Amino acid sequence: MLGLIKKDLLIIKGNIKVAILFVIVFALMSSEGNEILYFVPVFLSTMLFMSTFSYDDYNKWDAYVCTFPSGRANIVKAKYSASLILTFVAIIITYILGIVMGSFNNNLDFSKINSIICGVLFAMILLQSIMFPLLFKFGAEKGRIGLFIGIVLISSLLGLLLNSLTIKIPGNVIKTFNDYWFIILPLIMIIMLFISYKISKKIYLNKEF
Amino acid sequence: MTNIIEIKNLVKKYDNRFTLGSIDLEIPNGVIVGLIGENGAGKTTLIKSILNILKIDEGNIKIFNKDFNKEENTIKEDIGVVLDNMFFPEILTPKDINIVMKDIYKKWDEELFKKYLNDFGLNINKQIKTMSKGMRKKLEIATSLSHHPKILILDEPTSGLDPVVRNEVLDIFLDFIQDEEHTILLSTHITSDLEHIADKIIFINKGKILLDKNRDDLLDNYGILKCDIDSFDTISKEDIIVYKKNKYNYEILVDNISKIKKKYKNFIVDKITLEELMVLMIKGVK
Repeated sequence: MLGLIKKDLLIIKGNIKVAILFVIVFALMSSEGNEILYFVPVFLSTMLFMSTFSYDDYNKWDAYVCTFPSGRANIVKAKYSASLILTFVAIIITYILGIVMGSFNNNLDFSKINSIICGVLFAMILLQSIMFPLLFKFGAEKGRIGLFIGIVLISSLLGLLLNSLTIKIPGNVIKTFNDYWFIILPLIMIIMLFISYKISKKIYLNKEF
Repeated sequence: MTNIIEIKNLVKKYDNRFTLGSIDLEIPNGVIVGLIGENGAGKTTLIKSILNILKIDEGNIKIFNKDFNKEENTIKEDIGVVLDNMFFPEILTPKDINIVMKDIYKKWDEELFKKYLNDFGLNINKQIKTMSKGMRKKLEIATSLSHHPKILILDEPTSGLDPVVRNEVLDIFLDFIQDEEHTILLSTHITSDLEHIADKIIFINKGKILLDKNRDDLLDNYGILKCDIDSFDTISKEDIIVYKKNKYNYEILVDNISKIKKKYKNFIVDKITLEELMVLMIKGVK
């Protein structure tokens, strides 16, 4: 499995120059306090990782990798692992950038950085959890379109629902979340990834190339 | 000679469009087996079915006397594969391939891989996408050989290559087969390649195996009897495997060529090439 993780990271290494350029441009743009910077590395890492699926499809890698003694479940596991490694690297970069920018602008606020990064991480894990089964099922091109349609549909539906219903979240639920968010949030992310992995594995085990 | 691959009742269905099988196949140890047939005959489907790239509907596959269903990963440690236009993402380099494969195959031999790269004149730092078709193919072959496989499974390994590179590639296969423990299963529609290197020929058409013979038996015993249109009726029906009517003559595929030559002294009976055999078997009338 390690070899398969390395393969995806090597593809990303090949495109890293463009990503670094993006981060620098956004860093300069956000030097006056624009918080978009916090989203850039993690968002870019997800986009970069999506490109590994495009390379795989273009060179029909999936048929070839099925001839390896790795097993199909490990091929899926390797994709998730490589993506998580990349996400965590992106989080560390965001953290460092946040500190540098904060120090530069004399408004360093760790609690603000922490909460923004947690939100960004959660959003990206959610995105990846939805994205992977779609990419495994439909391939890079159709999967990307599916992901786009899916996100638009889900956010529109949620928006409509929240507008039409007046859901009152009980105060004790909010209090529990505020007190234990550092346990609840990672737990939800792990569950999302686990369910996503199970779905992707099922798709990949039965797929033909 | 023991069988290294044994396939029984293999069936693979593609909706209602195409069915492969039922295929029964035995491939002995230490030989080069050529799988021939026209485009769409089922060669790639058979190879992909053997490797579990496609899911078979029925049948049983044994490789190295091990059940493929139960010991797939163990079996694949000893198989080297070259597929038609299916390989590593082209942004990678041979150096990257080495880094990846070190953690894929237990017996990956870094030195051997580098030796092949050197022998084939391949630059270890060159991206695959910048390589010519011949170079890519050599890289695919080098990759397939560098974990000391016992079986090579190759789908159209010489298609699209110029004659010089094709001969180089065939030499690599001949070199591989020098070890008596090594076996090659090779699909191609360039039948002339097989006339030089194959020990056994399997002819597949519309998903079925039409012929499964040793190359020498095939090329020594099969022939084409040519006769004009008026003389066709003088040929005994039992001597005709298939025939093809041309504008001015008939071409008849015959078996046991020496007997036929004696029986029909007034007709020309030529030895057959694999290409002629393939065309006659596909286009001929029974």
